[in-house]
Amino acid sequence: MADDGDKKDVGRKGMAVYLCTCRDEIGKRVDTKAIADELRKDPRVVSIGVHEALCSREGQEYLKEEFRTKHFDRVAIGACSPNIQGLIVNRALEEEGLNKYLFEQVNIREQCAWVHPDKRKATSKAKSLVRGAIARAEKLVPLEDIDIPIKGSALVIGGGVTGMQAALDIASEGFKVYLLERTSELGGRTYKLSMTFPTHNCGICCMQYCKECVFTPKSEDVLQTKNIEVLLDSELEDMTGGFGNRHAKIRTPAGTKEIDVGTIIVATGSKTFDPKRIPELRYGNPNVITASELEQLLVAGREKGGGLKRPSDGKPPRTINFIQCVGSRDKTKGNLHCSLVCCTYAIGQAREIKRMDPSADVYIHYIDLRGPYRGFEEFYIAAREEGINFVRGRVAEVVEDKGKLFVRASDTDSDTLLNIDSDLVVLSVGQEPADGSEKIAKMLHIQTDIDKFMKDINPMFPSEFRRGIYVAGTAQGPRGIRYSIEDAKAAAASAVELMKRGKTKFPRIVAFVDEQRCRGCGRCEKDCEFEAIEIVKDPKTGALLSKIDEVRCEGCGACAVACCNKAITVNNFKLEQVEAMVRAIAEEAGSDE
Amino acid sequence: MSETFEPKIITFACTWCGYPSANLAGVNKIEYPPNIRIVRVMCSGSVEPGAIIDAFENGVDGVMIIGCLMDNCHYVSGNKRAQERVDSLKKLMDIMGIDSKRLRTEWINASERSKFARTVKEFTDEVRALGPLPIPKKRKELKARTKEQTIAAVKQLIEDTGAFDCVECGKCTTVCPVAKADKEFAPRTIVLRAMEGIVDNIAKDRDIWTCTTCEQCNSMCPYKVDYSGFIRGMREEAAEFGAAPLCSQGGLIHATQRMMARGKLKQQRLGWVTKDLKIAEKGDVFYFVGCLPHMDAIFYDRPGLRLQSICESAVRIMNKAGIVPVVSNEEKCCGHDLNWTGDEEDFEKLMEHNLEVIKKSGAKKVVFTCPECYRTFKSDYQDLAGDLGFELVHIADFAKQLIDSGALKVEPSAKSSFTFSYHDSCRLGRHSGIYDSPRELAKAFSGSKFVEMENTKDKAVCCGVSAWANCNAIAKNIQIERVVEAKRIGADKLLMFCPKCQVHLNCAIQDKTPVDPSLVNVKIEDFTVALAKLLGLMPEGS
Repeated sequence: MADDGDKKDVGRKGMAVYLCTCRDEIGKRVDTKAIADELRKDPRVVSIGVHEALCSREGQEYLKEEFRTKHFDRVAIGACSPNIQGLIVNRALEEEGLNKYLFEQVNIREQCAWVHPDKRKATSKAKSLVRGAIARAEKLVPLEDIDIPIKGSALVIGGGVTGMQAALDIASEGFKVYLLERTSELGGRTYKLSMTFPTHNCGICCMQYCKECVFTPKSEDVLQTKNIEVLLDSELEDMTGGFGNRHAKIRTPAGTKEIDVGTIIVATGSKTFDPKRIPELRYGNPNVITASELEQLLVAGREKGGGLKRPSDGKPPRTINFIQCVGSRDKTKGNLHCSLVCCTYAIGQAREIKRMDPSADVYIHYIDLRGPYRGFEEFYIAAREEGINFVRGRVAEVVEDKGKLFVRASDTDSDTLLNIDSDLVVLSVGQEPADGSEKIAKMLHIQTDIDKFMKDINPMFPSEFRRGIYVAGTAQGPRGIRYSIEDAKAAAASAVELMKRGKTKFPRIVAFVDEQRCRGCGRCEKDCEFEAIEIVKDPKTGALLSKIDEVRCEGCGACAVACCNKAITVNNFKLEQVEAMVRAIAEEAGSDE
Repeated sequence: MSETFEPKIITFACTWCGYPSANLAGVNKIEYPPNIRIVRVMCSGSVEPGAIIDAFENGVDGVMIIGCLMDNCHYVSGNKRAQERVDSLKKLMDIMGIDSKRLRTEWINASERSKFARTVKEFTDEVRALGPLPIPKKRKELKARTKEQTIAAVKQLIEDTGAFDCVECGKCTTVCPVAKADKEFAPRTIVLRAMEGIVDNIAKDRDIWTCTTCEQCNSMCPYKVDYSGFIRGMREEAAEFGAAPLCSQGGLIHATQRMMARGKLKQQRLGWVTKDLKIAEKGDVFYFVGCLPHMDAIFYDRPGLRLQSICESAVRIMNKAGIVPVVSNEEKCCGHDLNWTGDEEDFEKLMEHNLEVIKKSGAKKVVFTCPECYRTFKSDYQDLAGDLGFELVHIADFAKQLIDSGALKVEPSAKSSFTFSYHDSCRLGRHSGIYDSPRELAKAFSGSKFVEMENTKDKAVCCGVSAWANCNAIAKNIQIERVVEAKRIGADKLLMFCPKCQVHLNCAIQDKTPVDPSLVNVKIEDFTVALAKLLGLMPEGS
């Protein structure tokens, strides 16, 4: 036996079990005392205790004291979800010297006390779960976290407003930034906008069209920042390496460039919906245009004077119909999602038309007006006051008849059918992920959602999309400029924080290979979504062996199932560990009947 | 039985969606039946089929896997893989007689608390309606053996297998296929250790499980020491201490066989019998199918491996010769693998059952396609049960007899055009002495060229694995070398009777190989199937 007071005593052995009554939240449904009495008979258990709140300061002190005075080396806990308070309890014990991997917690609160009113049944279930935890804890192996150095450079993919903002923020903290843009200019789609909500100013200063510029040109900012290396006409070809040090191959006009980066911001942006996919809207007709095309006409109208001119004959249009939700909220021909910005920009454009020609008849056909932004309601009321007609109802089709355009719609408020003779039809097209973003998502192993936009690990909080990879702006769903910039700043701040630390740790819940059992068949390599496995030739024996890149491995265990000889498995999620837990639960559950 | 049966249900819930959805149901206090016990896993795609079957074997009545919504897996495609595996496992369960409704997958988003609760209730009701799974709960209790008892048992074993006669000439090691690939392995030293009474590590001794029991050593030993018998006995002793082989497929196959031995399950193993196949319930000839339907389900994902075509071919050949064999749904695994991994108790249960089934059919002759089944009946069953009262014949011999007697005619127009060789499986060759019939049958393949490999008949190199244990790099080396040998003499097809040889050799040349793929570019095929194809009874692509 080890000496008292020695924190790192080697003689530690055995299991401690602690049950939490959660200030009666668990206690009123689960007889923790009865379970403890029963488990005391288990020869593996050297200490057992019941506490009213293991996660409280007192609870933590109690556990620490237990660890100091008893000689167990592993712990099984029956309490709440290990995902939340479990971490607190685990950290408290780790502080005292417990290897945090020798810890198993089962959930007898959310998955037991709170859902099973019958005390006898809840107690019996809790007991079997705790037995399972003991069985699993017995088979756990001590591990160390993986140390990951983080390289102090970043790659920003996409040179739109989001990418530029992120690049500027990271560069201002002194880190090298590679700003990748596949077209030949910075600014992205925002560059082409002349009036944006809510100020009615241009999206980004372009120094060409707009005379009322208030922004310092962001693209100039980027170009003047020494830490930012702008790579135009360039695309990401390949990405290797892992968390903290990823190796990117970039195709540039000057040839392939290879760079190593610590963090990545994905700002691949969005594109507009192609209205040709809805033929009944007659997008081929010169006087049926998208909102972005209208934007250009408005700019030209302001620059050259003479107001808005329609494409077919250059005459000023008298009747203009805006059709909302083109490609949005439409499962059959477009996308299910709402594109969030179209109501706002359509009202803005309609007001601009009215400003240029107050006598024009402007209609906006909408399903719902959605603009959950500060200032939107005022914006909308102003538009109504200016005489813009808001028609609730979806446009059925645009009909071409003898050189004229008719918008056939229904006004669901007054229940009338409309057939509006229209000089110009503007399609408020929605947003979709930009071309090529799927490829980039795949390369970086970012999940995409049903709508094909990139998906957060946790939809509740802005977070990493993969370790050290952040997605900002419209790459993760439709949003306005302001919100894209907020994203960019948040992502940049997270990346900077990580790079400032220069290193991090993450749990070694990753795959490992038992070389004695590996056949080198490569099925694990094939099934790994993260390219964390490589089959290599053992230089000594010439045999093929599977090799894990721990930094790339996400610990999912796909390889373990693929392996026919079970040579590869995820640390502490080994087949025997899982089976031990299941068997113990089944046995206990069986003994009650 | 108690008034109401309460099923035990294990749910494997993924860390990202399944587990949180249960937590959320808890936070919202949504009540659901307490039968379900959640085991957290990283991803639904990491749930081993072996772990699922193990749960059933250990008294669980239903298993549910909960993962992220499709197309929404945190690990890209884990749930899709889980679904594929579950689909094939359900096939296996149905064959075994475990209603596949007892296994369910559900894709539930972390936020879908009510769906979680609803699903749990639904599943619990469904499993409750199915009733308890008729599989005895407990695994074998370990007998508390003393060291002396083990020493005595090993001594007896040495005596029984003639290991005392070993003169340490080393001939066995020279021919041992494992020793060729693994320099630290030698059959002789295992015997030596046992003779010196070193049995302390019997539970940890990897060597006794590494041996493929191919009997190369037996056939070469000048003193006729029964090495494979010795190894089998040692495994039994090791099993007394809880030792088990490192099973491939996560122990799934052995668990299947144990459950067949113990459970009173209503099997559905005749799914492969199509309407045009003629089979009987009673008759003179009994066709013992073995584990082919099970293995077909287990190896669903291996290209070029449809093991059920073997039994289909066998019945078609017999039908062509005017024989309507008895094929029984009651038949169970012969027990070969359990016998060779130290599980004598379950092996004997299977034996008793199978003998009973065959006797009831009134058969005078039992035909085998699987060399392991054949050997098990011929040697092990007869050793334990004495004369079985019916004739045992392997399809190689049987088909030859049918051709010789004229009952089976190979049309002169039947032609094949490939160069092929024949791989003697250890259970058929060295264990049972059948070498000539396959070679006689090979002559029927007019138009094709038959070539013999260098190591052939009693010197044939084995497929590297027996009883699904220890399928490691050494085994793979042996397998690769065997196929290279066939390629070297120009064979583009390698025929064999043993389905396991087929699984192993096929596996070794798929995916990555340590040699250039052109050196192992050989089609591995079952002899019975090839014969049926020649007779026009099976389509060429099967």
